[in-house]
Parts: sequence; C-alpha cells; structure tokens
Amino acid sequence: MESTRNKLIDILNVHKNSFISGQQLSNQLNISRTAVWKHMRELEKDGYVIEAAPRKGYRIVESPKKVSSNTIHWGLQTKWLGKEVVHKHRVPSTQTVAHQQALNGSSHGTVVIADQQTKGKGRLNRKWYSENDDGVWMSVVLRPNIPPNQAPQLTLLAATVLANVLTKLKIPEVGIKWPNDILIGDKKVAGILTEMQAEHDQIHYLVLGIGLNVNQSSDTFPDEVKDIATSLKLASNQSYSIRQLIQDILFEFEKSYDVYMSDGFTSIKQNWERFGYKMGEKVAINSGNRTWTATLHGIEADGSLLVSNDDGSHERLYSAEINWKGGNVVEE
Amino acid sequence: MLKIEEIHELIKRIDESSIDEFTFESNGTKVSVKKNKQEATLASPVQVQAQAPVPTQVQEQPVTKPQETNNQVDENVNSEQQVNYDYEIVSPMVGTFYSAPSPDKDDYVKIGDKVSADTVVCIVEAMKLFNEIEADVNGEVVEVLVESGELVEYGQPLYRVKKM
Repeated sequence: MESTRNKLIDILNVHKNSFISGQQLSNQLNISRTAVWKHMRELEKDGYVIEAAPRKGYRIVESPKKVSSNTIHWGLQTKWLGKEVVHKHRVPSTQTVAHQQALNGSSHGTVVIADQQTKGKGRLNRKWYSENDDGVWMSVVLRPNIPPNQAPQLTLLAATVLANVLTKLKIPEVGIKWPNDILIGDKKVAGILTEMQAEHDQIHYLVLGIGLNVNQSSDTFPDEVKDIATSLKLASNQSYSIRQLIQDILFEFEKSYDVYMSDGFTSIKQNWERFGYKMGEKVAINSGNRTWTATLHGIEADGSLLVSNDDGSHERLYSAEINWKGGNVVEE
Repeated sequence: MLKIEEIHELIKRIDESSIDEFTFESNGTKVSVKKNKQEATLASPVQVQAQAPVPTQVQEQPVTKPQETNNQVDENVNSEQQVNYDYEIVSPMVGTFYSAPSPDKDDYVKIGDKVSADTVVCIVEAMKLFNEIEADVNGEVVEVLVESGELVEYGQPLYRVKKM
C-alpha cells in the first residue's frame, strides 16, 4: 500500500505540469482505476491538491504544506536517510523519542520529527524554545561504523549541511560558530545537539538533533532570547515550507554523510571553514578550569578548534565555552 | 621534541632523586614523569612512550591543557590509599567530563553504587557531542577519579570498579 502510494507520488511528480490518465496510472501501478481514485483521496487528506479533469486525468496542483510521515516520505530523494519517519504533533523532545526508537532497535537513518516540542533540549538540559509550529524540530538516529572519538566530526558535518541548505535558499550572512551553531549575522538560527551511546571502541548509536527556526516572527520568541535568536523569515521576509526544508536537509545530510564515510573529513573541514564565525578574532575561552583570551585560527583535521594564545603558543580545543552568546537556549 | 636518550637520562636522574613528579614543556611537547604509580594514561595517537624502569612512568603528549593534566596528577597522588578494584572505566575520547546530566541534578553514580554493564556513569562532551558512558561491567563503583567539568584525555581512567 505504502510503496504503491510512493510510486504514485513519483509518477505524479514527474508529470508535474501535465495530466496523466487514470488508465495509465492503473497500468503502471498494476492496480484498478478505482484503487487509483482511492489513493488520490488519501493524498488529498495529506494535503495534496489534485486536479482531476475528465478525459485528461490527474495532476498535482500543490504539494502538502503539512508535515506527516507520509508527506516527508513522498518526494524525498534519499537512499537511506528518512526511510523510516516518525512524526508526532507535540512531544517533550524529539531527542527523547529518538533515543527510545534507537533503544528499540530502529535502523540507521530513522528520523523523528515533531510540530512542537514542550521541552526542547539544548545542551546540558538547557531549554531550546520550540513550542510552536514554526521550526524544524528533528532528530536522526545514526549507527555509524567509526570509532567513538571520531563521532564529534558528525556534529560539524551537520552544521555544514544546515549552512549549505540556508545558503542555497539565498539567506545572507550564514555562519557557523564552532563547533556547530548556525548563525545569521550574529544571531542564532539553528542549533545541533548530538547524544551518543558508545562503548570504548564501538558506537551503539547516536541521536543527532536539529532545531532550526523558520517562520517565527520576533514576538514568537520569549524575551530571554529575542536579542540573540533569529529565524529564516526574520532574515529574509519570506515564509518557508517546513516539509520542504526537512526534505532539503535530509537530502543534503545524506550526501555529506556518504562523502564523509568514503573520503573522510577533509571536504567537510573545507566546507566548514567557508562558514567559520569570528575566525581571526580574539575571544574569551573557558575550558576545564581555565579562562583566558585567544585568537581563533580555524579547525584541525579532526574538527578541534585551533587557537593561538597571547604568548604565541597554539592549542587545540575539543571542549570549550566560548564567550559568544546566542540562540533559543534559555539557561534554567 | 626530546630524544629518547634524553628521556631515559631524565628518568634515571629522577629515579635517583627524591622528586615524585616532574613536568617539562617545550615546543608543544610535554613530558611528565611520576613515580610509584600503577598505570599511566596515554592520550595522543602519536605519543612516544619510553619504557621506564618499572616504578616510573613516562607520559608524553601535545600540550593541550597543561593545568588540567597537572591537577589530575595531583589528585592521583593524593588518592594513594589502596583501593581494591579490578576494572577501570576509561574515556573513549578527549573532552569535558560531566558526572551529572546537568549541574542541578545528582551524579549518575557515586562511590558504593552498584552498576551493571549498561548503567550510564557519566557524560564526556567534545564538540557538543555528548557521549553517555556506560559502565560495561557489573560491579560496584569504588573510586571516582575525575571531577565534573574537568577535561579528560582519550583512554583516561574515570572510575574504578570492583567487579561482581
């Protein structure tokens, strides 16, 4: 049933500007014309607008705006990412749902999407404000066959994926704050939170969460984050289809992930550096029990942050608080 | 970079002296020597390890966070009391160690807690990837070696466990 409907969508998408007759569809899908008609009714329920003209047949007039596992699935041009989509209207956090999925054996590439999160997670259980339908709130289950100490590179990879998608939409001034916050100008538009379960030498799974502000207006944000958060709409005066954005992100993510798995981190690093925020500038750093100022240089081959200290020495940082605030993250 | 002969000479001199530990830094290379320890933690994949006379261990690694390393050495020396353990939970990566899910929550585990293989004992964060570390053995936590917020190295012991 599901696969017939996928084929139907694919055929209709190919014939986007022309009609295709019920008889042709019935032949190609090997189902009755009545069954074709029933499928069309189901598509309409999911938000497709379909024009049916006598003696001409059917065509898609409008793809659905609403997000469901079906509408994400249909038209998604990926090979393994998002083959399983779990969509919820309102959950505490897609991270939590994705963890449960992973523990229950969900396959590599399973995607969890919610319209709203009541307890969106930032790092260290800080809150990510996402109690609205205006963003992409999504978590992906990955089971990469790489050593756990390489896994942080995936969070940088995810950042480049988002930066590339936004750049293709002609969003100006896209930047990546090390390691993986996405900025427009100096304001945070997206955050990435990755949680991993691993043994010393083997990854069980990781859950990579993406929160992207899309159609929020300035009054959507609570006061605490108003000055530091932005959305695609605020940056471009346009609204975007959440469904389309999710598909764009998944497609771009799969492409980058496959390149990373076959060729390593080099091309991801180059891409990251195109977007690197405040490179060459001096910032205050807190790492471990130490606070100091240093100049940001770039990232190393393993994704760590390279800084030069005032005494001329260089350091690689794997974990640091850098004094630049941003995003929907509210400290609780 | 020190030559291996120089490291040997260094070890010999320190071995004969009353110095318990010694740290030397130059050109991005750091050598720490300490006496009377059971094991050394080795961090960098390109480390040069000198085979020292048995009671002395050498550790050489790029200087990433000298202070933390020193603190850790101090702690190890201070907690010299004999603790009966047969397993160490080590960090799978370089990063920040967190003993609790967030600053206002209780620690995942404390001394005396029973753990099983899949018990989450702490988080190590690197590049905003939060790695939930599992115990990997059934046993009792007998020693916590690192404080929350400290930087840890690849392979650094975090907890000692008495297997059951």
